[in-house]
Amino acid sequence: MNTNSNVYTVIYTTVIVVIVAALLAFVSQSLKAKQDANEKAETISQMLTAAQYGTKAELDKLGNAAKLDKYAEEIEKAFVIDLEGKELRELNIDRNELEVYSPKQLKRQNYNIKGGANKTGEPEIPVFIFKNGRTVVPIYGAGLWGPIWGYISFESDLQTIAGAYFDHESETAGLGAKIKDDPSFQAEFKGEKPDFAAPQSEIINIVKGGAPKDAEGKSVVDNSVDAISGATMTSQGLDAAIDTWLEAYAKYFTANKPAKEHCGKCGHHHEGEEVEPKAEEE
Amino acid sequence: MEYLSLFVKSIFVDNMIFAYFLGMCSFLAVSKNVKTAAGLGVAVIFVLLVTLPINYLLNTYVLAPDALIKGVDLSFLSFIVFIAVIAAIVQIVEMVVEKFSPELYSSLGIFLPLIAVNCAILGGSLFMQQKDFLNIGEATVYSLGSGLGWFLAIVSLAAIREKMSYSNVPAALKGLGITFITVGLMGIAFMTFMGIAL
Amino acid sequence: MDAKLKETILNPIFKGNPITVLVLGICSSLAVTVTLKGALVMALSVIVVTGISSLILSLLRNTIPGRVRIIVQLVVVAMMVILVDQILKSFEATYAIDKQLSVYIGLIITNCIVMGRIEAFALGNKPWPSFLDGIANGAGYGLILIVVAFFRELLGSGTLFGFDILNRFGYVPNNLVILPPFALILLGCIVWVQRSIQKDLQEK
Repeated sequence: MNTNSNVYTVIYTTVIVVIVAALLAFVSQSLKAKQDANEKAETISQMLTAAQYGTKAELDKLGNAAKLDKYAEEIEKAFVIDLEGKELRELNIDRNELEVYSPKQLKRQNYNIKGGANKTGEPEIPVFIFKNGRTVVPIYGAGLWGPIWGYISFESDLQTIAGAYFDHESETAGLGAKIKDDPSFQAEFKGEKPDFAAPQSEIINIVKGGAPKDAEGKSVVDNSVDAISGATMTSQGLDAAIDTWLEAYAKYFTANKPAKEHCGKCGHHHEGEEVEPKAEEE
Repeated sequence: MEYLSLFVKSIFVDNMIFAYFLGMCSFLAVSKNVKTAAGLGVAVIFVLLVTLPINYLLNTYVLAPDALIKGVDLSFLSFIVFIAVIAAIVQIVEMVVEKFSPELYSSLGIFLPLIAVNCAILGGSLFMQQKDFLNIGEATVYSLGSGLGWFLAIVSLAAIREKMSYSNVPAALKGLGITFITVGLMGIAFMTFMGIAL
Repeated sequence: MDAKLKETILNPIFKGNPITVLVLGICSSLAVTVTLKGALVMALSVIVVTGISSLILSLLRNTIPGRVRIIVQLVVVAMMVILVDQILKSFEATYAIDKQLSVYIGLIITNCIVMGRIEAFALGNKPWPSFLDGIANGAGYGLILIVVAFFRELLGSGTLFGFDILNRFGYVPNNLVILPPFALILLGCIVWVQRSIQKDLQEK
């Protein structure tokens, strides 16, 4: 047979493309439910890690079902807010119909927060309040090779970071991938206080060469974290992602800060009516 | 102004070779002399310039969630679609080069079809997906800049190698060995561009 | 096993090594050699993918029209890798493995070794030798990867497989070593060593 004739070439290409497309579509459709379930359990374990319910390794020892159980048990309230900090709707926290935000949904909200041509609607960003009084919010952005995202938990004062967990799609192993693999990098965020009054790019600073430290090696600047050496682009991307998302939550955090703490810097009054009932500190 | 800064940035700051180290195989293998290097450089510019806007349109209007039909997310196909587009364009380039410049065709050898797997090309499309360009103009400018950056890198390496053929390099290091080291040093030099915000 | 087959297997490991002699697969060897673990994972994946894709395309070799061969090759390789990724992602037991591997998927598909060996060997040879050629080239690639990663992790982080080796003796990790240019310089040195032994590879 003449494999170089036009007819043969066209037919051959068509057949290959159809087979490949059909196979991929079939596999992707038939496995989607399972993949989503895995992804949901992963997202939940990342949020639980950020909220300090254990290290990621400990939580990963639980199976998917146990992760969902644990989350359903520990979650106090989950809801979606707009950029003004106003609650739009509640998220389902029923064990069998848990609603969390997958990285894909975060990506869409990332467009909506930033605005521009890729915007698909008004921003709807999630807030997760756990029974230990901690509030978890997601972040999303671009690293060196692909998307990066993560979860940051705040103490009940809504000012101090209680923990963080970051994940990525394809950062370089041993460099950028450390945002996920290096617990000591994530631990650096503990105790930091994002500066919501500062310009967007300085809410959190991930500083190359080390954040300013005192003689005992403790960070002296409240919103400054050491960058990962050798991973400039990933560090910058993470910095930008955190800044963008925390700014989106700034109004919510400021408005819902516990009233007992005097808010000298910002000066305006708290809108008491909209404050969510807060779990008391442990 | 936006376009200009994107253009300059994609040539120098985000240089495909020295910032991302993409497309190294053909970069190292086809840089023995300036003429062949320039030929491959032009081919890469062309392929990037054509594939990136096509992939941008496909990504925005077909593959993105809800782009084609509401509720349908075809993004799992993006890898394979990008690669198919790139392979098709490379195939066309290969046929054109073979027809019009058999001399260049034979000196490029296997590295012409390998443009298809030149990470710089697929990398361009994947970065495009991630950089969230607002319109096709930005995508085109970015593709031209990245291609030019690649072209500049391979031509300058080829020029260095031509000069180096007169130097007294240890026999075992001659050719490939010293080229690796040269590229490493060039990469360190290019790091000065890193962190420049435009 | 006849001599030719033996040659097919042994040649790519040293004498015709894909990285240091054929100059294929450089990009990924810069990206994955910061840690030994990453290098090992990548090496194993590439061995499997080159082997199987060489086998499949060698089976198809007489049916592929010359003018669209690049598309067919890439589509088949990409489809295979994506399928494996999708399947690993759907089971609870393998999800964690997939999370480790998914980082490398793009690098595997665009790894020049996979397509380079299909173009140069599998399209002109029978399935069995093609399969062996793919495996052997993957192994030769993996060998260099592991050597480079050994030095980069040891000098760049002071550890091996994440275990502290040098830091306990007061070693300060060298940040230059974990940057990609240093991987190139190391590769240059490996070529130097190899060509000092294999004099016939030296260029004039």
